[in-house]
Amino acid sequence: MGNEAASLGALKAGMTFFAAYPITPASEIMHFLAGKEKTIEFIHAEDEIASIHMAIGASLAGRKALVSTSGPGMSLKQEAIGLAHMMEVPLVIINVQRVGPSTGMPTLPSQGDILQAKHGSHGDYIPIVFYPNSVEECFKYVIKAFNASEESRSPVIFLMDGFLAHLSETVDLSKIKVRAKPRTLEPLGKGNRHFTGLLSKDGVPKTKDTEFYREWYSRIKNKMLETASRYSFFEYIENPTASSLLIAYGIASRVILPLKTKYSIFRPITLYPVLEKELKRTARRYKKVIVIEMNDGQYKEEVERILKREVEGISVLGGTIQLKEIKERLNAL
Amino acid sequence: MHYKDYVNWEKMPTSWCPGCAIGIIFKQLTFALEKLEIRKEELVIVSGIGCSGRAAGYFSSDSVHGTHGRAIPIAEGIKRANPALTVIVFSGDGDLVGIGGNHLIHSARRDIDLTVICINNETYGMTGGQMSPTTKEGIKTPTSPGGNRYYPINIQGILTSNKRHFYARSSTYKINHLQKVIQQAIEWKGFAFIDAIAFCIENFGRHLGFKNAFEMLERTKTDFKIPANKDKVLAENELGIMKK
Repeated sequence: MGNEAASLGALKAGMTFFAAYPITPASEIMHFLAGKEKTIEFIHAEDEIASIHMAIGASLAGRKALVSTSGPGMSLKQEAIGLAHMMEVPLVIINVQRVGPSTGMPTLPSQGDILQAKHGSHGDYIPIVFYPNSVEECFKYVIKAFNASEESRSPVIFLMDGFLAHLSETVDLSKIKVRAKPRTLEPLGKGNRHFTGLLSKDGVPKTKDTEFYREWYSRIKNKMLETASRYSFFEYIENPTASSLLIAYGIASRVILPLKTKYSIFRPITLYPVLEKELKRTARRYKKVIVIEMNDGQYKEEVERILKREVEGISVLGGTIQLKEIKERLNAL
Repeated sequence: MHYKDYVNWEKMPTSWCPGCAIGIIFKQLTFALEKLEIRKEELVIVSGIGCSGRAAGYFSSDSVHGTHGRAIPIAEGIKRANPALTVIVFSGDGDLVGIGGNHLIHSARRDIDLTVICINNETYGMTGGQMSPTTKEGIKTPTSPGGNRYYPINIQGILTSNKRHFYARSSTYKINHLQKVIQQAIEWKGFAFIDAIAFCIENFGRHLGFKNAFEMLERTKTDFKIPANKDKVLAENELGIMKK
């Protein structure tokens, strides 16, 4: 199951601190890791906000930390995500998406939290976001998510969806060789370091210093983009006879896979920062670019922005996705 | 370690107003730390947001200044990740009891080994003196212009409803008492909460007719007593420790 594979990936990455609050369709991650409470620090927290703050505290104190949730919980975690970016704390947040807004359609799958993953917390920041599309990838890319979070010293968002979370596939985990990176943050107990959500220079608040803000932001931006450039994951299935390129990710990319006989398919695994170079290079030769996603065109907006041309979109809303419907809608374009 | 060595002198002066009560509690904490011989390498101070929230940065140890209301879960994460650390939460009433109230209830229930010092000045000082969960009934503030219609929260009741608990009330006037209480709270194995009765002159007291900080300090002297019978539940105007 995707949820189990993601949990196992986290353990493989060296995660020893997990805090969460029950929410469908992410709860199996909690259940699975509760079974490991003898080897990791496991907390069923009082709420979504507490769980991510506990993880931030634990990460500062020297543990690789994980939290898991779904849409409503992800909304509640946004302020803490901003804090982790500001304090430069490594952390992995799994969001198993379901249909929103609000309680929405509990708990049918969705891909509606793409833009939230990019800009859910207030202020400017640059997150790294992964979205796998198989049980094997849930395992593999959670390890990479931990590595990216350590290298960038930032909270990395790992998107899944209700389908993927509950999908069962046979995987030989021993064949997946991804090495876990060591910790980059020296744990609390060193003395005289101040971690704060305020803009600060060497622990001293600089809350009225515009020039320093600009300098600081440019450092953070460079750091994030530079790290992310080493984590630019995608899959490109080229069909030499195709004149249209389909772009899809997560479960939607699995569903449309049979269409490779007629189309080329580009699947971003790193959703953010957007794979600008790869998208531009790949899309160049196609007459049509069509983004298929289970939301109202969230990633299509990004593709249009990057390619600076008209991009078609197929929005598959309401928690159900079928190849037949997609074929019909493609033919009608 | 000398008590002065717990202070990050490079950051002085503090951002607090003249006549602020936070410094009194801050200093008593440093005295308690000296008495307990806690090395700064084993100490972490965690604060939330607000005037008291700035305190974390004034300590010479490692410190965390997080989001509003979430000092306790950050502290719990730190303590559970490394139980060898002495983790002290230093924050205000609005932060710990208002927006962070749920965490207070549950970390206390789980009896996590933390010391929580609540600088209870009965107001949201930094944002302009609005009423807080601990503001007395009838008090006029920008968000209770007709007088606070609600009765203040009973933190003692919440804390002592747990089978195992440590709730102490002390004040900025009885500094020796405050220091002893802080020492006992740090030594207590489990969740220890100190309701440190403080005051805010600039953004709260002046609107209530207090002329200066000393008048407010005097009020904590006349309003709060240490009872002779120390075994019973603390009345609203009594200082002491309820532990079990």
